[in-house]
Amino acid sequence: MTRIVLLILLLLPATATLAHDPVFGLGPHTLFKQGVEVHVGADRDAARDAGTTITSLELAYGLSANWTLRGRLPYVRTDRHDGETQMALASKYRFWRRDGLGMQQSASAFVNLQSGASAAARSGYTTNTTFGLAYGYESRRWYRWAALRYLNKGKGDSGQRLGDILFLDLVGGIRFRPTHYLEPDWVWMLELNGERTRKHASSPGEQWFVSPGLMWTLRNFAIKTGAQLPLWSNLQNAHSRYRARLELEWHF
Amino acid sequence: MKTLLFCLVLLASGPALAAGTQYQLRVDGLACPFCSYGIEKKFMQTPGVESVKFDLEQGLVIVSVAKGIRLSEEQLDALIKDAGFTLRGVRELPPATAGGDTP
Repeated sequence: MTRIVLLILLLLPATATLAHDPVFGLGPHTLFKQGVEVHVGADRDAARDAGTTITSLELAYGLSANWTLRGRLPYVRTDRHDGETQMALASKYRFWRRDGLGMQQSASAFVNLQSGASAAARSGYTTNTTFGLAYGYESRRWYRWAALRYLNKGKGDSGQRLGDILFLDLVGGIRFRPTHYLEPDWVWMLELNGERTRKHASSPGEQWFVSPGLMWTLRNFAIKTGAQLPLWSNLQNAHSRYRARLELEWHF
Repeated sequence: MKTLLFCLVLLASGPALAAGTQYQLRVDGLACPFCSYGIEKKFMQTPGVESVKFDLEQGLVIVSVAKGIRLSEEQLDALIKDAGFTLRGVRELPPATAGGDTP
């Protein structure tokens, strides 16, 4: 049994982002070998009907320089329901990397399993699975990322199944002043995030967001923050007025 | 007076005499300071390594080791690989000639 659990853990790629990945989209970064990451975050989705706030604690470990395992405990609370703790297990595998002077390009595959009551607490206990691919380019000045994710929503206790979602993220970033190792480092980003809700959805359709964001780092500590602002949507309900995210991250 | 001068010279030259080898590593993939922390961490876990300095613009990592400690090219390559970067070249420097940021 232990072997099976271990095997499943090893096969799970991660959704959670590392510091020099986008704020809302996903990037290909992985931790260094035997590196440990402690991560706390807060998300606010101000939807038209009821908002959702998620606070989370994460712990990640670098199995190798290309393979990161991650455990996450999100506490989900909506404006109409009490909070509930969920659990997520994830990992990310970087399968391609090209290094140059002051430049790195890479691509990763990831998967994430999250269990618990749904964020809206309407469908009972479910397990959702996310699969995806992410590409990233970073240099001393410029950043660009692209990612495709598919969120497969499981059937809840109540038998209700919410719609699967396909995510597309296109992101650009800039470091206006290239910094040295022990200097505070600022990278500004602009994301275009698309979400297409698919089968079994009560409200199929698309939403697009434009998302300004910022990464501030100092040696092994990082702060990431940003806001997702709706650009266009043809969803019948569950519109987001805005989404905001704040993350703190330490590497050891 | 001569004895005093000799003592001062000896004191001043003490650290240089005690200094060990410095390795200047040309590393590809060094784009940001935060990602470079993995290299500092891997080297500072290695016995005998005293400091790690970075020159991100030139893609250089300068590793100082204690006197009598040697790091092989295979060791250096493995440490850079474990940090998620690519080692392009190694040069041994005389002590106290390297620049860059020290942790």
